Amino acid sequence: MAKAVLDRENIKLNVSIATMEEGIRFTGGILVANGYVDAEYVDKMLEREEMATTFMGNSLAIPHGTEDAKANVLQTGISVVTVPEGVDFGGGNMAKILIGIAGKNNEHLDILSNIAIVCSEEENIDKILNARTEEEIMALFSDVG
Amino acid sequence: MAEGRNRARIQRFGSHLSGMIMPNIGAFIAWGLITALFIPAGWLPYEPLAALVGPMIIYLLPLLIGFTGGRLVYDFRGGVLGATATMGVIVGSDIPMFLGAMIMGPLAGYLMKKIDQLFLDKIRAGFEMLYNTFSAGILGATLAGVAVLGIGPIVNSLVNSLASGVEFTVNNGLLPLASIVIEPAKILFLNNAINHGFLSPLGVEQAATAGKSILFLLETNPGPGLGILLAFTVFGKGISKSSAPGAIIIQFLGGIHEIYFPYVLMKPLLVLAVIGGGMSGVFTFVLLDAGLVATPAPGSIFALLALTPQGNYVGVVLGVVVAAAVSFTIASIILKTTKDVEEDLTAATGKMEEMKGKKSSASEFLTPGAATTSDGDVLHEAGAVTSTPGGKATEDVRRVVFACDAGMGSSAMGASILKNKFKKENIDIPVTNTAISQLPEDADIVVTHKDLTPRAKEKLPQAEHISVENFMNSPEYDKLTQRLKK
Repeated sequence: MAKAVLDRENIKLNVSIATMEEGIRFTGGILVANGYVDAEYVDKMLEREEMATTFMGNSLAIPHGTEDAKANVLQTGISVVTVPEGVDFGGGNMAKILIGIAGKNNEHLDILSNIAIVCSEEENIDKILNARTEEEIMALFSDVG
Repeated sequence: MAEGRNRARIQRFGSHLSGMIMPNIGAFIAWGLITALFIPAGWLPYEPLAALVGPMIIYLLPLLIGFTGGRLVYDFRGGVLGATATMGVIVGSDIPMFLGAMIMGPLAGYLMKKIDQLFLDKIRAGFEMLYNTFSAGILGATLAGVAVLGIGPIVNSLVNSLASGVEFTVNNGLLPLASIVIEPAKILFLNNAINHGFLSPLGVEQAATAGKSILFLLETNPGPGLGILLAFTVFGKGISKSSAPGAIIIQFLGGIHEIYFPYVLMKPLLVLAVIGGGMSGVFTFVLLDAGLVATPAPGSIFALLALTPQGNYVGVVLGVVVAAAVSFTIASIILKTTKDVEEDLTAATGKMEEMKGKKSSASEFLTPGAATTSDGDVLHEAGAVTSTPGGKATEDVRRVVFACDAGMGSSAMGASILKNKFKKENIDIPVTNTAISQLPEDADIVVTHKDLTPRAKEKLPQAEHISVENFMNSPEYDKLTQRLKK
């Protein structure tokens, strides 16, 4: 059965994370646990982060694998982790929203573009960080005008 | 590590092959059209124009390939040498020398490059011109001469060994295996030697007693080529995709098989597809005891059907269909898998460049523009990195492209945000995203992260470049939106 790209189980709220590596492992771990990628993909995410940061601005980071890690993707999926205290993604960039991406055949681009539009508004960043339930996050990301 | 390097080398070799063929596809199609229309067995037989057919395939096409191959290695000078050396293999053999051109072209370019490296800095001022013309002249003459003498024996021995291969399969009742020899031989233009020197006489003999012969179908089955072209129609990209449907008409209906050869030469692995298609086609013919009464020339589906004896239609048609289906399937798999490889390659080179040139930038990337505070003013000031002064006028902007190293994440997000802003203001200009290495020529405005802007400018100097520091919320987006709003 094909799973939804963003499922309730892929969202973890108010997590406390100390380091960037831990953050990436946690975000990638959700994708592994829910069957979107194999375990090796997480290493590829760390590898990708070393090449260039995935910190996007607006407290958002989008860790994902390298180009050649597509083979490790079983199914397109994203995971969302909120870290209200923030985690240093290098150079003092505090990421508070981590979005793990496992994309196959560009299926992730729709939802990625929704996320981009939502997160480009500062007030939405606060909404996400203040969300109490996973459903709120799903609602925020799913309907964009 | 070594394995990775080898892989990269093979990929580069592959892209060189298509680099030699691709730019010349137009000439192939022109030749195919002329041939299908004007040869005596064509649709509009007209001798004066049919006179183009021979010289074009013997001289024009190989010379174009040789020139392009030399040019890939050593620019125009390499191209001139490539064409000159190719002339040697053309004159030295009596078959169209595509493969010879694909070898001689780059080889000549490469040798010229090496010789120039050896001598160029030793040439006294004022003599460069003399050196340039004469070194090229001497090398060209040498290569062409050697090729004339060397190529004949090579082609002859190839034909002989291939012919004995086919002979073996025919004599031992292993007909489907003949495709292993015949299909690659076709691509090398050695098919006529095999067909007319061996298969046809034997086929005529069989037909005289049995009224038909399967041997007429071995080489003329248009199915395998059709499969290749269909696969390009569906899974190809760029010129190869858009030219394939036209090529199908020339090949399948017009019977000019040569038109699919360049597609195979671009991706030599595809020879597996024609072999597979050929074998399954022949197998079908054998199974259904199909044959033709004479050699169909050219090998178009119409000619095949015209020479099919009563009661053999099912077998002949099925053999063609099966061959096409098998060849299409194998070719599709090859195209799909190697396509990814090519994309990987561009992405990999992009990444490599970035790692090489911008080792320290990753940290720098993060420091100044850090959008970590919710203080909008700080963010804006930091985000307002330079953009090219004097932006393009609204009516000159037809396309905005976001670019990042891989074209996957950040550029896609940036593009979505700007697209959304454009939509709100009813600005009807497309916004797309891509990897820097694949920036399209027709991008009028290119948006990149400030660390990557120099690379983007180098790639596309004529475009207006906008640097942003924060893909998520750059003031540049609003500036651009305001500017382009009417």
